[in-house]
Amino acid sequence: MSRPSPKQIVAMADVAGVPINTEIAERVSNSIGPAFEGFAAIAGTLPFDLEPASYLLMQTAKVVK
Amino acid sequence: MSTEPALMTLTAVAKAIANKQLSSHEVTRACLHRIAQWQPHLNAFMEIESEAALKAAEEADAALAKGEVRGALHGVPLAHKDMYYDAGKVVTCGSLIRRDFVAQTTSTALQRLNDAGSIRLGSLQMAEFAYGPTGHNAHYGAVRNPWSFPHITGGSSSGSGSAVAARLTFAALGSDTGGSIRMPAHFCGVTGLKVTYGRVSRAGAMPLSQSLDTVGPLAQTAEDCALLLQLMAGPDPEDLTASSAPVPDYMAATAASIKGLKIGVPTRFYVDDLDPEVARILDETIAVLKREGADIVKVELPDQRQLVSASQLVLAVEAAAFHKRWLIERPQDYGPQVLMRLQNGLAIPGVTYLEALRWRGAALAAHVAATASVDAVITPAAPVPAPTIAESDIGNAPGAEAVIQRLTRFTRPVNYLGLPSLAIPAGFTTTGLPVGMQLIGRSFDEATLLTIGAAFQRATDFHAKVPAIP
Repeated sequence: MSRPSPKQIVAMADVAGVPINTEIAERVSNSIGPAFEGFAAIAGTLPFDLEPASYLLMQTAKVVK
Repeated sequence: MSTEPALMTLTAVAKAIANKQLSSHEVTRACLHRIAQWQPHLNAFMEIESEAALKAAEEADAALAKGEVRGALHGVPLAHKDMYYDAGKVVTCGSLIRRDFVAQTTSTALQRLNDAGSIRLGSLQMAEFAYGPTGHNAHYGAVRNPWSFPHITGGSSSGSGSAVAARLTFAALGSDTGGSIRMPAHFCGVTGLKVTYGRVSRAGAMPLSQSLDTVGPLAQTAEDCALLLQLMAGPDPEDLTASSAPVPDYMAATAASIKGLKIGVPTRFYVDDLDPEVARILDETIAVLKREGADIVKVELPDQRQLVSASQLVLAVEAAAFHKRWLIERPQDYGPQVLMRLQNGLAIPGVTYLEALRWRGAALAAHVAATASVDAVITPAAPVPAPTIAESDIGNAPGAEAVIQRLTRFTRPVNYLGLPSLAIPAGFTTTGLPVGMQLIGRSFDEATLLTIGAAFQRATDFHAKVPAIP
């Protein structure tokens, strides 16, 4: 997973209904890019049946020391 | 006029009022006197409501004289971050967009403190829409650090940190989505409690990120934080994410010993690239905890950079979604940095956002496994002491996000995992800037953190230091 390019960001923002120009898209790409890179090792690797709600189950699970 | 009552802890002043050693009016006047002295230097208050506060104090005293006690905070004056809805009051959220917004409801957290008898002193400054870790505000000006005016307070609960440090309020609500309680606690030298996600209702608190937002206190001591958490914790029909997990006796926890408790010190990430003074204070804090009977051990944590990244992806998308209407209709009314950060959320595909949420349970499981042998983990709250306002006031300049990420890299993983964390004043740099440590606990185990924090504060006096009046 790589950071989105300014061109891709312009398109995504447009689809989201909040158009931005290329200059802003470049800034956004630099700003959020490291988050994409940091998450790259996880993206695309998660088991099929893992749901966001698994977090709540884990939160209340008993910890065995 | 003596301002001495204003220097007391929340717990002590509440007792003094209940025992009629001090009147609420006397205490409120002392706070207002101090606010008048400090506010021109700090810009910590958004609104000061002197007359209403004194009237409420008189009513509290009259009620007490008749034997009517509202609760544990009877007659105690408090001020909170200006994002807690209080019916009939303007709640700006630190923004231009909500400059005239009048709340129709009262937030559950605030209502529970009101029900315990607290009095409103006014409202406290904050980063615009709670989206900034420095304490800058493009519309209302930077809040100043009472220990050194040129230095930042940390944010987003900037007014809360500054006002508690200067003893203008005995405690203040903040909110913590990526470090917004712990940053100002660290930079201003006060105690701040980021609670487990779901421990305190978020109803009526301005949202930033529904998956990460938490409501919590900043105060002088761990004991003060325990008192406030005791009053606020628990389920709420207005917020279905507020947990029904049992609420333990937090005040009792602050009296317990730490003998035999195991505290983990991470072997990497939280000890990498530390400012030398922060590193020194971490070592000194560990030495105190050891002396008090804690067992200090090394812990190997999973890759924290991945947690930081996941938290950024979740926060950016959720914040952009909350703000979408205003991003379309009123983009010119945001400060440049907040606008830039909100626009970040437009660049993240839905699949990536959901992956970041889907991974959360697995990431928590990995953390729990890595820390199963310890009761808490200790780390610095931030890798550096407070930078100056001038060097961190970078708006939307290239590199702004990198500066933000550097300041918050130790706090964000905790928000992503939804864990509780207590920031405690742990020392001062040679130039007199406070430095805080954070204790990270297990989900819903704030009690252990309060036990450790209170024991540390019995053995040290960093929390009791007061900045000199200019």
